[in-house]
Amino acid sequence: MNTGNDQISWIVSWCRAIGLTPSNTPPWLYALLALLCTFCFVVVPSGAFISYLDRKLSADLQARVGPNRAGPGGLFQPFADILKLLQKDTQKQWGWRENFWLSVHTMALYSTLAVLPLGSVALLVDTEMSAFLPFWSALVLGLGTMLLGLSQESVPGWFGGIRVAAQTLAGSFPALVALLCVGIRAGGFRWSVLANSQGFSPWSWAVFANPFLLVAFFIFVMSGLVLLAIAPLDGGLSMSDIHGGGIFPSFRTEAELISFWEILRIFPLVGNHCGSFSGCLAAPQRLYSWTSET
Amino acid sequence: MDFKSQHEESSGSNHGFLLEGVEPLLTSCTCRGQYLGGVEGILMRFSVFSQLALYIRDVSLGVWSIFESCFTAFPYLFRWGDLRKEVTEGYPDPVSSKTADDLPPRSRGLLFNDIDRCTGCRECERSCPAQCIHIEEEPGADASKIWVSVFDIDFAQCIFCGLCVDVCQPASLIHTRQYEGAAYSLSDLVASFGRGQVTAEQRAKWAALRQLSESDEVTL
Amino acid sequence: MKRNSNDFFKTDLTTWEIGPYHGSLPAPMRLKLSLDGEIIASCQIETGFLHRGLEKACELHSWKSVIAYADHLDPEAAVFGELVLCLGVEEIGEIVVPARAQCIRVILAELTRISSHLAYIVRIARAVGSETIIHYVLRDRERILDLFELLTGARFSLNFLRFGGVCADVTDGFIERVLEVCEMIRIRMKEYNDLFTFNHGFLKRSAFVGTLPTSLIRACGMTGPNARASGVNFDVRKETPYMGYDELEFQIPLGQGEGGNIGDVHDRFLLRLREISQSMEILKQVADRVPAGDFISSKVEKDYVVPPGEAYARIESSRGLLGCHVVSDGKEKPSRVQFRPPSLAHLMAVPELVEGIRIEDLPVVLASLDLGVAEADR
Repeated sequence: MNTGNDQISWIVSWCRAIGLTPSNTPPWLYALLALLCTFCFVVVPSGAFISYLDRKLSADLQARVGPNRAGPGGLFQPFADILKLLQKDTQKQWGWRENFWLSVHTMALYSTLAVLPLGSVALLVDTEMSAFLPFWSALVLGLGTMLLGLSQESVPGWFGGIRVAAQTLAGSFPALVALLCVGIRAGGFRWSVLANSQGFSPWSWAVFANPFLLVAFFIFVMSGLVLLAIAPLDGGLSMSDIHGGGIFPSFRTEAELISFWEILRIFPLVGNHCGSFSGCLAAPQRLYSWTSET
Repeated sequence: MDFKSQHEESSGSNHGFLLEGVEPLLTSCTCRGQYLGGVEGILMRFSVFSQLALYIRDVSLGVWSIFESCFTAFPYLFRWGDLRKEVTEGYPDPVSSKTADDLPPRSRGLLFNDIDRCTGCRECERSCPAQCIHIEEEPGADASKIWVSVFDIDFAQCIFCGLCVDVCQPASLIHTRQYEGAAYSLSDLVASFGRGQVTAEQRAKWAALRQLSESDEVTL
Repeated sequence: MKRNSNDFFKTDLTTWEIGPYHGSLPAPMRLKLSLDGEIIASCQIETGFLHRGLEKACELHSWKSVIAYADHLDPEAAVFGELVLCLGVEEIGEIVVPARAQCIRVILAELTRISSHLAYIVRIARAVGSETIIHYVLRDRERILDLFELLTGARFSLNFLRFGGVCADVTDGFIERVLEVCEMIRIRMKEYNDLFTFNHGFLKRSAFVGTLPTSLIRACGMTGPNARASGVNFDVRKETPYMGYDELEFQIPLGQGEGGNIGDVHDRFLLRLREISQSMEILKQVADRVPAGDFISSKVEKDYVVPPGEAYARIESSRGLLGCHVVSDGKEKPSRVQFRPPSLAHLMAVPELVEGIRIEDLPVVLASLDLGVAEADR
């Protein structure tokens, strides 16, 4: 927590200058607010945009018209989808198994977002475990979905559960090895150490340091895609498998959270990549110090 | 019976458990066979190095084929040349690309019966495979006229085969090129072309007229 | 079925009933599978969900209406049902079909074969999950359906053949458009091959999978592209030529096993692509020499009643050997019309073929057999 203090100074000075917050607000509150703002104004609109882009691009590639019913060129399609989702009736009772799955997913998602470094704005968790925490979240996700799948009373559910377990392990181990490479080069696994070992210019980034780390970067990317089941490594038509064999979109508001997860899982992944393999973590701080020098 | 053993002999690698681990190797060896040279293939087939090389080759072939497919599909994304227009269109668009007049002249759309030319011969009712035409008729003002009171075609059952149009002698029953026949209830799908039922006194009047003309003919 | 947690770790067989409606099945049918982990240990098949009483309905309507029923035997390849019935009746009545009508029939039959094989590509692509090529192929199939509409007035259930010929002459410009469509499909085939046929992902799912042995083919009486992909050289157009096929030059493609085994899923797929090319060759030959003449035999008038007799006609439909046994006793309605659909033989082979494959290969193998359950159940 202490190391976070220096590095959030530019946000603190900004807010005090405008008079946005009283001067004795603790640094973790700044971090929380930054996190919420990023979530509301960056992540959620990206989700809507990506879902529209998915439909439009696949329609263009398949020589057919994309969404064209909601808004000009179908731009309001994500909102139409949300409205439609809210009107659906539940087909299955939401039982304790589904609650367990949802709580596991929520914990994993939000705790990952909390421990990701948002550049040098906030390093909430700067311990030796920092770089591994998103990992842990993904593994817990996998465990939860596997248990949900195995507890279903249908054969597709069992297949789904075992498939998720296999997929999680298949994605975890190569990614872990790649991450170890980065940490060994940087001399530690704290976010601050990883950030300080890489500079502003691309040549000092970890990814270009040596050929092994270049390979490690690509392995990290592909393992991340496998671990979180992101296209094109998501197994095509096996979406119900990935949800543990359950057909979740039949639930109403709960389905929103699950659909959001489809979009949001990109962000922990990308955040982890940028933080570990490139100098993005240090960029705001270096920019600030560079501008304050000149 | 030797069915099983014949099956195993001639089916190649579809044996089940025994060849499971080796199948991926065989696949990557024989298909795209030109990538794996002869000597390398025979001598080093099951060594660790060749397994690793084949795995990496498999992955690279997979990634390359994704790019190949993208190269084929990207012209559609950017709409070059004759792929300028999408193949599908929204329905109903304000300006749909196909109206009834754009269809070929022989198109078998919804049926229409010109009741003024219909002679009430009931050939269409007889030849319909789905038995969807219902006709009720009675003699009209004179012997040559038939009053077709009910001529219902149930489009819920019609298979649009065109046999009724084929047999219609006065050519009163035709296929229009109209294809938009969706309705919200089954009763809306029945098209009535008949002239309607007559009252009992009208029937009596016609019977009298017929008697009169018949007796005229007899005297003439 | 409920299992407690102890039972879960036992390795005996899992029973799983799929059907009648399931995304992985090509049509309504029920499969009772016994699974050992991922491998299918045994399979039992139950069909009849699409039984419409077609053959009985044929006995209740006049001869002319029966053509409309035969049309609906296989909704995707309607012409073959009509054709086999007309050939049977022409054999009973000893009607000679004029040359022009024969050429028109050959054009329709080959166009239907191409259209049916294009729909096959769509089904296989859907089974392996490639959505893009589905739209490209359907766009090209629309051109063929437009041709059908130009000639007959309908896109699928044509109802165009009559006893002794066809019911109307070709419209202006039809033959030219047929040749244009052939040329367009020839160019598009290259696009499909670039996109899908030798795609590594598709190869991995289809090579060495679902190999059909010739012993099973002979035991079940399978014909058509499924049999030819395994090397059984049997095509009714060459064995017992009908409708003028003996005057046309074409070769029968056989499975070579480029992707993997001879007779696996990829081979069946490649064979149908080759058959599309062969059908285009036939179309070009026929379109060049459509003779002038009648489009229907003069012997057949409006109320033609088929004389007493019986006949068995065989044709090569897009799925295999389609046979029709027609029995007439001189009345205005048929006495018996019985169809021998090729897909029934393919269905008989499914339990044996599916044994030993993994559960994820099941949709691919079923789609590769081109099962027309509508014609198998009639």
